[in-house]
Amino acid sequence: MKRFLLLLASAAALWTAACNGGGGTAVPPPPPPGPFGLNSLNGTYSFVTNGEVFTGTVVTPLARVGSFTANGNGGITGGVEDVNSAGAASLAIPITGGSYTVTGDGRGTLTLNLNSPSGATSVNFGIVLTSNSDGLMIDETSTNTQASTGSGNFVLQTGGPFTVASAAGPYVFDFSGLDDTGAPDSIVGEFNASGGVITAGVQDENDNGNIPATPTPVSFTGVLAADSLDPNGAADLSTFGRGVASLNGINYVFYLVGGNRIRFLSTSGGEMLAGDAVAQNNTIPANTAALNTSFVFIVSGASGNGGVTRIGRFTANGGSVTNVILDTNNGGVFHLTGGSGGGGAVTAASITLDAVNPGRGVVTFKDPSLGVPFTFVFYLSSASSAVIQDVSQGNQGATDVADGSLAAQTGGPFSSSNISGTYALNWSGLSLQNGAEDEEDFVAQAKISSLSLTGAGDIFQFQNGVIPDIVVGGTITAGGDGTGSGGQRNTMSVNLTKNGSSTVNFVVYVANPGLAFFANNQGTTRVVAGILKLQQ
Amino acid sequence: MLLSALALCLSAAAQQSAPAVAQRLQSYDLSREVFLVGAVVKFDPASVTPPIGAHVLLQTPSGLVDVHLGNAQLLKANHFELNPGDNVRIVGESLASGDITIFAARIVQKGVQAVVVRNNKGFLVTSTSTMSQDQKDALRGVR
Repeated sequence: MKRFLLLLASAAALWTAACNGGGGTAVPPPPPPGPFGLNSLNGTYSFVTNGEVFTGTVVTPLARVGSFTANGNGGITGGVEDVNSAGAASLAIPITGGSYTVTGDGRGTLTLNLNSPSGATSVNFGIVLTSNSDGLMIDETSTNTQASTGSGNFVLQTGGPFTVASAAGPYVFDFSGLDDTGAPDSIVGEFNASGGVITAGVQDENDNGNIPATPTPVSFTGVLAADSLDPNGAADLSTFGRGVASLNGINYVFYLVGGNRIRFLSTSGGEMLAGDAVAQNNTIPANTAALNTSFVFIVSGASGNGGVTRIGRFTANGGSVTNVILDTNNGGVFHLTGGSGGGGAVTAASITLDAVNPGRGVVTFKDPSLGVPFTFVFYLSSASSAVIQDVSQGNQGATDVADGSLAAQTGGPFSSSNISGTYALNWSGLSLQNGAEDEEDFVAQAKISSLSLTGAGDIFQFQNGVIPDIVVGGTITAGGDGTGSGGQRNTMSVNLTKNGSSTVNFVVYVANPGLAFFANNQGTTRVVAGILKLQQ
Repeated sequence: MLLSALALCLSAAAQQSAPAVAQRLQSYDLSREVFLVGAVVKFDPASVTPPIGAHVLLQTPSGLVDVHLGNAQLLKANHFELNPGDNVRIVGESLASGDITIFAARIVQKGVQAVVVRNNKGFLVTSTSTMSQDQKDALRGVR
């Protein structure tokens, strides 16, 4: 499977912390009035997208991370970005200018002009603001020299001017992508930063399915520094938070979003790994006796079928685990664990927390219809959020390479009374398009009222190109209380209309009325997962 | 020859029945590999039959076998075409996936040309996996 599914889940985690068929041509309605405008994007923002690029000869994976400054009036005044394509890095590419639009509903466009090694060019994105401080984005670049897509987000950088000491304290992280052979790789862990020195690092890695017989973290150290090879290294660190890092022997560039978040992209060794580290606060429970919370979670990544998403929920009460539901889409093969209509109630469910690695734990449960138990390792960044990695052990290693996020479930029961307002949504993954299997990215804004969706969005299918301003409709069903206590789960049906129409059906796991994870649970032409986030 | 015929029978038989519970949710295991020899009945680069991706329907002495080949773009990048009537040899294994079992190809061979579509752990190979260092170096400058 592909790294973009891995990375979608990573992005989703750290927030909590194609059309076919018949139908007529739909004319997008004018943007609804809303609180957003050009002045909503004002300041310096760190961005990341993960997807793929076509350079005229071959399609390859692509991850980009960078920082841009928006002037609040439609102009981009500067920035810098780094790109890793299939392990080949292009570093510290100056952003010389650009432009953006934002309409009242928070949707817009972003163009970054680049002074790249191969000449001046630009890259284009579709964006949806989730607040004045952050938003979701997809790469929509399609020029005569390069086409690229991918999903990601941007976050206002605060706390500058930056130094390496701006990163301070404990962090948890989730890096995913490809190893140096192009095989899927996932690393989750935690470290402590102080004055540019990384200590107390521990990580769990699932590299091409190679995992220990029982989840066992590996220790590491590292450093953060200004980039001495970047002609603007000092200024790029101070203004855009950009520096270089070495973690467990792998070199990265990093961008300080602030003291609470650092974005990483690998730059050497042939790997293509990207992800965020988020500050770990002091609310994490010290032991399972203090862990009495319901959680939703999502992981996505690579399997023998191509791509896999696993999305579900459970209730932790002390060391026990109950009310487990898990929906799996393994390359278009669907399976429900637990819940009504599943393979029966799970057995041997438990959760543990490490005594020595704060916030690290393992949750496991057995689907009676499957041969081996599901096992996930997680690192809590707070009492309510974590990064999570699938370490389910098959006969010859992990059954897949997948990671994502875990979030406490609060604010239920969920119904039309609290799942209401304007939301940004983004999904990413694989779909069949124009006779091939390739990447699909979607970003949209929708108003949810009485559990009906109305809005607009952009979709980029790599074989078909970008389709902007698609009319978005649909419905959400709130199954019971939405927490799974009755075996029910929530669903969402999204209708996309423009020169035809199609419907994508999802299962939705609501973390809280402002955030939900979803993955398609019907149809054999897609393996996609995403997030729904209330606009602030 | 006998071994190959036996292997063929075993793999074809595995296609016919649902997997035992103990075999479900499994990882790829090189020690279970067998090979199929047969003629292409149909090749679909974007099949709606799961798993997502390219499938080839193969006529073997033991019957029809649906084989998952992964991403058709890899085959295309290797200028590897499959047409009805082509005689092919496929190395792979029956792999349980939730409620179904598929025959997952790791190597597909036609004549003297062979393409590796899964790695030794069973994960699908991408064009990236097969790039030379020169090809990777050529990607520097992507922005």
